Formats: sequence, structure tokens, C-alpha cells
Amino acid sequence: MAEKIKSIKDSPSPHLSFSQSFLRRSLTGYIPREKRVKILLGFLGVIVFMLIGRLFVLQVVKSAYYYRISEDNRIQPWTLHASRGVVTDRNGKIIATNRPSYTVSLIPYEVSETFPEKKSFEEGRDLTLLVEKLASCLKLDVLSLQEKIRSNWAKGYEPIKLKKDVDFNTICVIAEQNEDLPGVIYQVEPTRKYLEAGWVGHVLGYVNELTREELSKDSTQERFRLGAVIGRKGIEKQYDDILRGKDGMTYLEVTARGKPLGPLEEMKPDPPVNGSDVKLTIDLVLQAVAESALTDYKSGAVVALDPQNGEILALVSKPGLDANLFAGTMTTDEWNRILEDTLHPLLTRPIQATYPPSSTLKLLTAAIALEEKIANKNTYLSPCGGSFKFGRRMFGCWRPEGHGRLNLEEAIIHSCDVYFYQLGLKVGLERWSDYAQLCGLGQRTGVDLTDEAKGLVPTLSYYHKRYGRGEWVKNLIINLAIGQGEILVAPLQLAVFFGGLATDGKLYQPYLLKEETTPDGRIISTQPEEKGSLPFSSSTLRVLQQAMIGVVNDPQGTGVLAQIPDVCVAGKTGTAQNPHGEDHAWFVGYAPADDPQIVVAVLIENIGHGGTFAAPVAKRIIEKYLREDLPQGQEFTATPNE
Amino acid sequence: MIKFRSKEFDLTLLIIALILSAMGILLIYSAKHHSDNSVEKAIYIKQIIWVLVGISACVLTFSIPLRFYEVFAYVLYLLSLLALVLILIIGSSKMGAARWISLGGFNIQPSEFAKLATIFPLARYLAYSKRSIYSFRWLASVVGMTLLPALLILRQPDLGTSLVFFAILISMLFWSGVPLFYVFLIISPVISLICGFHEIAWALFFLILIMLLYRLRPAFLFSVGFLLLNLAFGTVTLVVWNKLHDYQRQRIIVFLDPGKDPQGAGYQIIQSKVAIGSGGLVGKGYLEGSQTKLAFLPHQHTDFVFSVLGEEFGLLGGIILLGLFTFLIIKGILIAQKTRNTFASNVAIGLISIIGFQMLVNIGMTLGVMPVTGLPLPFVSYGGSSMLLFWVILGILLTINSRWYEY
Repeated sequence: MAEKIKSIKDSPSPHLSFSQSFLRRSLTGYIPREKRVKILLGFLGVIVFMLIGRLFVLQVVKSAYYYRISEDNRIQPWTLHASRGVVTDRNGKIIATNRPSYTVSLIPYEVSETFPEKKSFEEGRDLTLLVEKLASCLKLDVLSLQEKIRSNWAKGYEPIKLKKDVDFNTICVIAEQNEDLPGVIYQVEPTRKYLEAGWVGHVLGYVNELTREELSKDSTQERFRLGAVIGRKGIEKQYDDILRGKDGMTYLEVTARGKPLGPLEEMKPDPPVNGSDVKLTIDLVLQAVAESALTDYKSGAVVALDPQNGEILALVSKPGLDANLFAGTMTTDEWNRILEDTLHPLLTRPIQATYPPSSTLKLLTAAIALEEKIANKNTYLSPCGGSFKFGRRMFGCWRPEGHGRLNLEEAIIHSCDVYFYQLGLKVGLERWSDYAQLCGLGQRTGVDLTDEAKGLVPTLSYYHKRYGRGEWVKNLIINLAIGQGEILVAPLQLAVFFGGLATDGKLYQPYLLKEETTPDGRIISTQPEEKGSLPFSSSTLRVLQQAMIGVVNDPQGTGVLAQIPDVCVAGKTGTAQNPHGEDHAWFVGYAPADDPQIVVAVLIENIGHGGTFAAPVAKRIIEKYLREDLPQGQEFTATPNE
Repeated sequence: MIKFRSKEFDLTLLIIALILSAMGILLIYSAKHHSDNSVEKAIYIKQIIWVLVGISACVLTFSIPLRFYEVFAYVLYLLSLLALVLILIIGSSKMGAARWISLGGFNIQPSEFAKLATIFPLARYLAYSKRSIYSFRWLASVVGMTLLPALLILRQPDLGTSLVFFAILISMLFWSGVPLFYVFLIISPVISLICGFHEIAWALFFLILIMLLYRLRPAFLFSVGFLLLNLAFGTVTLVVWNKLHDYQRQRIIVFLDPGKDPQGAGYQIIQSKVAIGSGGLVGKGYLEGSQTKLAFLPHQHTDFVFSVLGEEFGLLGGIILLGLFTFLIIKGILIAQKTRNTFASNVAIGLISIIGFQMLVNIGMTLGVMPVTGLPLPFVSYGGSSMLLFWVILGILLTINSRWYEY
């Protein structure tokens, strides 16, 4: 009986199918030790069988293939260069593209193969001969060439770059002497080519090679290899990630002599991904006009932007910077000349240089007074007699004979300093600097260019820190009210501010990247971004706009030289005192006054009155932009990407 | 007084280990004798010294009674954990990863000894715990004991070595009679974690899991627990994976399988395959391997030592080496089988699983079928800590063998 019960218990439940009970038994049941040993041994057998099988495949089935590779002296990785994205202006005219250039290199491994007994560079006397021959071919100094090879010498295939951008004739000579120049190769590399000179260096920046130091300093740059080209300034730096693309790699089978036999069968090439093409907001025609308008001046800056969306239409910095100079090979002399130039050509003035905004900022003082109901447009203050006495100090007006009795609007049109000294004192330092900051002055605009300068809006605490805690510092508002003193702004900041004044207070984020076209054809457009608005009511703004029209169109106005027939231009002049020399000339204006399409900020360094020098420059730019009937420049027909 | 019965001393184990070590020395000499650097050239002498140190350690180990490991199992375990924590804090950095502690000119790799020290408490717990294997306490103890050192080592980071711990866990669980399905359940979250990188693979795995649970019907709460665990691990990977940037994914892929990096480790694998494949049936002859000679092979004296063998001794050499390892492992399994003491038997299986797993992963890597993880080939690869560890393992195996009849 007991036996029967046991057998029932042990037998699988009747409702389980055979496979189910088998699965259950083998997976969840207790396995006796002997069986475990068998399972383990079986498992070991499978592993060893698989390893031997794999060995058999490699060493018997595919042995001939691998033997050939190892005999033919193996594998050489070869970089496939991604081509950098093309940069065009807003109308699709090419600004930057790529051209092929030849680089002559030396492969150490092959040199040591030719002179097998010489293991290192130092021992290789015969190398001297090679180096001398190469130096004469490439027109390089023998000693520096020797040093270049010595310092980069490694027993391997990594080519030592001897000279970049070698002209085609020299390449022919080297190709002919192939036999006498073992290990010398030339490679074609895409090199950046800028189709415009001067301003391109400032806006686009330039590219050059990553140095060994940079590579070792920053380990996050692992995706770069030595000699990879990266953007150094401007758009090329800001959008390096999208312009660069990704270099690919192919693996070649090469003979001991370095003769490529073809791609390695089992290693698929990693194809390069080209960079995205980029369309800028810049208008080449307008840019050229702005350039030529500055021809007569040594240094200055122009910014033109669309106040309705923040697109930068033109951006000029004088003196210009030739980006092609950096993209190719630059000699130390050329570099030193740029560094030592007293006009600082590396400085991109519209965004990196800051100046006192001078009388252009009287509009801010006026706006605060209007907004805080300190004055209205008909408020008269003490008449201008050419100077203003405050305490024991005399503050002069730019017009020594004085302006007489003026209301606010007239004071803006005539740019009377004495009126604004008084108005500034009524506004007060604290209120003034609060408003200036709300208007975005003394702050980076966030434009898509690197190394933008901040400028400075002095506040009460700034003065306290600088001059100590005294009540008197509040009187420094006298100078600030006319845009002089410690306040510093970049031309772009002022252009954005005036864009706000022109368009009922809307402040748009200025930008240069209009569109990105990815290699697979997707187009990503930048959306204009309204980043805030001026803290002024529309009635305040209307008074200012009216006054700015007066500045240009009133026969007494300081900006009459910006007048354009049939177009109503509005703006404000400024003449920034400069302790180091002649005054800086400012003009910031917009047009048409009733529907602003363009804001232009012009700054010319060390020249004199803004109304005399800067206003005509702005006039030429606005005229070109708004009067379509003027002939378009034909000189910008660019060839497509080579 | 140790009673020594000569017929209980397994000479063949010792001889296999000696042959493997001698092969290692020869291969290391071949790998480096073309080097210009005199220090590198003499590296085989260092290896000879390590083998001698290893043999002494083996003899020393042989005189330690098994009771010692049983009594001090947790002490040894805690000491090794301490060393691992220490190395995370002060460990000197080599090749970007902190794995060494410098002690008077020698670099000690605590992770090697952590492998050993984890086996003892695991073997003791599996042998003597009265708890049901389906209780939470049992599961947490067993998994926790393994996971702790494995995670500390993963943090170094050393993926290969931390995987060894899972090999140890799986084989010891199986050996102590835990049903296969339960072993599978215990490691299933790890599989989910890995499968989670690929939605379809993970869905498939999850489906199989549900089917198995449905058919085998373990306790309801138990099934739900494991399902939830798998779901959690799988989705963690899935969610995290999909949120990562392309380059971050690439970095993880390369970390898990450097062979996927065509410009880095992939190049090593190709060179290793070329070396082995070009060796053919009988190889190019000792010191004649062109891949080896021209130093095309990276790490050819440490992780890729098998490629040197494959190139210079061909398929023949490879089969001999694999045969030696197979023999060694079979011997180990048989020792575990006959040993009466459960603790000792468990230890033997744990030890042998280290040898088996490292052999598989290392040789598989040089053949291009396993990821590059940097696990040395037992007894053969250059390296002091590893050599010492495997001779100690051998010493313990010999001890267990000589006392197999004791309960």
C-alpha cells in the first residue's frame, strides 16, 4: 500500500503532457551529483569544440587570406576626410567652400625599410641626403626640416607632414623623382577656401589644425585626430560641430613598400559624414556696400540688422581679417605682423569692442524721464548757454555758443548736452542704471558668435566699490546721461536697443545662422526669438521715434547727412570723447521710420563728429537696402563647391 | 600532523600547470625579444620569478588546512572588500583605470584576490544554510555576496573581472543543486539589463520568461517578483538608452564591446586574427612570427598572448594548449565530484569556474568571438597578481584532492 502511494506521488500528474513534465523535471527538479558532472563536462565539451572550430576556420579555412595580409605587411588605416560644410549668404551666394590642396609627407616606416640598418633617425646618415633633396624641392630650410622629421619620428605608418599646401608644379617634380625619394608621399586634403576677403575673417572666423598640445590637454577631443581641422573664430568656431562632419576611416592592405593593394576585405570602411551646409543671414551685397562705405577710414564697425526678427544683414569690422591667410599655411612673420598691428585686426569690433555710446544714449535718458513722468516732450529746462555749472565744476555743451531754450524733442534733435545734464540729475543714477540694464545694455546679446564682450553699465554699487561710499558719486549721472563716462557698449548692443526703439519696444535675439542643411538634405531654419521688450510704453516710444525722425530730417538736426530722398530715415548721432585721440563717431538709425526694415549702427574710430562721418555711412547702407532700383552688384558670382 | 598519502597527491594537475607556465614564459620571450627596449626584452625573467613565487605560494597553500578557509571565509571576504574600496580611493592609475595598489615596487591587483575570497563565504553559505532556497533571505545573501565585489570592480572600471563573479555564482549555484530554472531566474535581470539595449531582443526574452514561468508555475508571488524585476531592469536600460545622445551610446557600445570601435580596439582584434590565421596548421615557427616580431600585436605578452602561440605554433599549438586546459578543468570537476565535504566541493567548482571562464573569454577574444575585456589567460599571460592567484587556486585544489575522503 505504501509503495503504491509512493509511486503515485512520483509519477507526473496525469494532466501534464510529456513535454511539459520533461521540461519541469529537467529545469526545476533536483539533479543528482553524477548528472551535474555530466552536464558540466558536456558544457565544457561544447566550449572547447567551439573554440577549436573557430581556430580551424581561422587557421585552416581562411589561413591563406590571413597569411597574405601578414606577409604583405599588413594594414594601414587611412583617414577619409569629411568635407566641411559650405557657407552661403542669405541669397545662397557662396562665402566659404573647400578646395583640394597637396600635402607632402614622409612615412618613417618606409624610410627605415629602405635603410634597414638604420633603426632610428639619428643613426640614419643617408637620411641627410634625403632631407637635403626634399628641402630643395619644397624650398624649405634644411635644418628646420630635419628638426621637424626628428621630433615627429616614430617607427610606423603615421605620415609626418612636411609641408602643406604645396603647389602643383612641386608635386610634379616630387612625383618624377619618386625613386630617389623613398617614403615621400603627397596627399590631397580638402582645404578651406573663403571667396570673400576682409570681413570674412571676422564673421566666419577661420579654421586651422589642432595642435599636439591641444590634443593632449583636452581628452574630450578624442574624436579628433592630430591634424584635424577645427574652427577657431566666428561662425567656424560657433558652429564647428555641425560644419565639421565626421571623418571616416578605411583600412588598406599595403605591401612592405607601402603600395596599397586595396581595401581590407573584412574591415568595412567607416564612410565620412560631410558637414552641414550653412546659410547666414548676411546679405553679401549689403555687406559689400558697408565695406566700401568704410573704405576711407582706418578702423570702425558697422552692424545692420532686421529689427523685425533679429537677422544680422551686415557685420563689418575694420581693419579686416583675411581668413584665407589662416586656412593655408601662415608664416611666423605674417602672424607677428597681425599681432603687432596697433589697429588690432583680430578684434571683431561690432561684438568684441566696447565704446561709450555718447549722445546716442540721450534717448535712454529721455525715455526714462518720459516713462517716469519727469518730463514730457514739451518740457523746457534752464536754457543752454554752452555750459552747465554744477557745484564747482563746469560741464560744457558740444556747441560752445549754446542752444538756448529747448524742449525735450528739440534737445534730442540738437543733441544738447546741457539739457540732458539737467534731465539726468532729475532721473537720478540708480533709476538710470536700472533702466539701462533692462534695455539690455552692458550685457551680451547672445549673438551666435564667440567671445562677445559685455560692456559696462555702472551702477551705484559699482561706483561705491570704485570711489568709496560717498553721496557725491550720484552726481556722476551728469556724464552718464549723455552717454559718456564709464558706460561702455558694443555696436551690436546699441543696434539691438535701437531695433527695440524702432519697433514698439520688441527686442529680438540677433543671429547669423539662418538655415542649416544637413548632409541628408534636411533643412533646419532658425526661428526668430523675441527675447524681451524695452520697459517703455508706446507713448514714450512714439515721442522718441518722432524726435529721431527730426534728428535726420529737421534742417537743424545733427543727422541730416543720413537723409535719403523718398525714404524717411530716423536715428541719432553720437560723438564719443576719446582721451587717447580724436573722438569716435557714432550713428545709429533705422528706416523706413513708419515700418522699420533695417537698423544700422555705425562706429568710426578716432575721426570726429558722428553726424559728419558716421551718418553718411549709414545712409549708403540703408539706401542700398531699401531702394531696389539701384543696380545689384555683379561681382559676387561665386563658383560652386569644388 | 598532516598525514600525507602519496596516492592522494595529484601530480598531473601540477604538471599541467607547470607546462602552461613554461609555455607562457616561452611566448612572452618571443613577444618581446625583438624589442629595442632592454627592460621590455627582459620581461620574461620577471615572469620566471613570478612563476617561482607562484609555485612557492602553491606549496604554502598546500600546508593550510581546508578548515582555515571555512572558518575565516567571511574575514577573508571582508578584507578583500576593504582592499577594493581602498583601491577606489587611493589606487594608482594605470591605463586610465585604477586597478593596482603599489606595495614596495610591486603592483598588487586586489580584484584578483577578491575572486578567490568571494568563493569561500559563498561555498560555506550554500553548504550549510538551512534556509529554503526560495526564501528572500537566501536569495539576497547569495546574490549580494557576489554582487558587492563585482560592482566595486565594475567601478574601477574592469568589466571583464566583474563578469568572472557571475560565472562563479552560476556554476556554484548549479553545483549545490539549485534547479537550473532557478539559476536562470536569478541571473535573468542581468540578461534583461543587457537585452534592454535592443527592444525586440528584450521583448523576446521577456516572452520566453513569461512562457517558462507559466509552464513551470512556481509560487505566484515568486513569479510576479521576478517578472517585475526583469521589467524594471529592462525598462531602465530601454529608457536610459533612448534618452542618450548618439555619441554617448557609441561610448557605451565601445565600453561593452571595444571591437565595435573600428579605429581602436577593432584594430587589435583584426591584428590578432591575422596573427592567428596566418599561423596555419603548424605555425611559422618559434620566434618567427612576423606579426609578433613587428609588434603589430597590441598587449601581446598579456591579454593577447594566445595570438603569439597561434602565429608561431599554429592550430597544433592551439589544440595542445586547449587540451591542457580541458584536462585541467576535467580534473577539477572530478575532484569536486569525489570530495565528500560539501564546502570543499563547492570551493573546487568555484575555483575551476574561474579558470574555465577566463580561458574561454581570453581565447575567444583573440579569435574575435568575445568582447575585448582584458582578462588574462590563466598561468600563461604575463602578470604577477594573476600568476599568483592561479597557483594559489592550484594549491587549494590539490589540498581538496588530498583530503577528499574527509567529511
